[in-house]
Amino acid sequence: MEHYLILARSVTYAQRMQSTLERAGIRCAIFRAPRDLTDLGCAYAVRLAAGDLAPALPALHRASLDPVRVFLFQRGAYREVGS
Amino acid sequence: MIYLDSAATTFQKPAAVAAAVQEALTGMTSPGRGGYRAAMRAAETAFNCRQELSELFGLENPEQVVLTSNATHALNIAIKSLVPPGGRAVISGYEHNAVTRPLAALSARVEVAAAPLFRPQAVTEAFARCIRPGVDAVICNHVSNVFGFAQPVEEIARLCRTRGVPFIIDASQSAGVLPLDMTALGAAFVAMPGHKGLYGPQGTGVLLCREGVPVRTLLEGGTGSASLQQEMPEFLPDRLEAGTHNMPGIAGLLAGVRFVRQRGPLEICRKERQLALLAAEELGTLPGVRVYAAPGLRSQTGVVSFTVEGRDPEEVGAALADGGIALRAGLHCAPLAHKSAGTLATGTLRLSVSDFNTREEIFRFLEAMRVLIP
Repeated sequence: MEHYLILARSVTYAQRMQSTLERAGIRCAIFRAPRDLTDLGCAYAVRLAAGDLAPALPALHRASLDPVRVFLFQRGAYREVGS
Repeated sequence: MIYLDSAATTFQKPAAVAAAVQEALTGMTSPGRGGYRAAMRAAETAFNCRQELSELFGLENPEQVVLTSNATHALNIAIKSLVPPGGRAVISGYEHNAVTRPLAALSARVEVAAAPLFRPQAVTEAFARCIRPGVDAVICNHVSNVFGFAQPVEEIARLCRTRGVPFIIDASQSAGVLPLDMTALGAAFVAMPGHKGLYGPQGTGVLLCREGVPVRTLLEGGTGSASLQQEMPEFLPDRLEAGTHNMPGIAGLLAGVRFVRQRGPLEICRKERQLALLAAEELGTLPGVRVYAAPGLRSQTGVVSFTVEGRDPEEVGAALADGGIALRAGLHCAPLAHKSAGTLATGTLRLSVSDFNTREEIFRFLEAMRVLIP
């Protein structure tokens, strides 16, 4: 199923993102980031439904929580779509 | 036991604290170390703890809340982040060894802003004389652990802001009792234990860090983040939290902080001061007892020191302990405070209360004192 992963620098940062998104009415969940998506080793990511990225990014920006990197999961693979 | 040593650690805790510790022991592993349920429960608990603490102490960002093993650990990080070896620090005359020993280890040049007990205006004036360009940090406790003297940290913070000197507050005796808004104060760091006025388990502490203040690590190791990098992460809290977290402690601390927020620090302070005032006033009527308190416990919290003429405080403390009453005699790990108050030669007996003490317990303590001092 299509979804977005927003990479976070730490589990606490991911939790701040989750808290901000939930306050904005956007449902999301925290996951361990797949190893091949991270340059620095272990990381966490916030997973969003495909239609939720557009409202999520400005909500995160307003809270000074800019994502490290953003990936789209589509047709069984991740593709970076921005940061 | 009648426990009157809460300035060391609170012994009676809210029931929710023990329940939270038990829940963590059986249901949580380590935050940031996995995506399975027990690890994520630990992460949620740690985050909720940071969030509650940031709301209680006026911080916007819970990432600036670092969980430590005690206030001493937190103070060591704060002091060693700001004061280089041989650097300059200004401290109050009522500091604990948790401040003076790290400064001694750094061979720092330390100036004491000396002032008499229970004279906050004199404390402010002393700091005003000492804070000048070139000082690496000003360090002051909010409340003296020996005398309960509430020092004017708001005024000292204002001096530090206007003179551009970083300020470290040791909130060991005030966290959970007196209001403290870190953002309004503009302090660089606020250090506190989790196991005193916040009612968490022993082995918990907190360091609140202002954004943008550089922090030095005391420990390096695993953080569950940026694992390929051999330097510690630059971001908080990971930079200062190497190794496995004390999850039972953090879960208990979360329950304790929630208790404090529900009760309200002002209400807790009001109750503690009433109990301490009752003890101070009655102790003062006993022959040969000198009580270190200002009238009405002005500028003082629920901590009262006293001495008995011709009696070693340790001997009196031991006799009270035999009767099931726990309070602390000696120098209370704060020889500088005793030197400032003129009690270094003998030390004092220190009575300190928590929200769980009662008037009945104070009466029983006073009765025991009347038997000891006929």
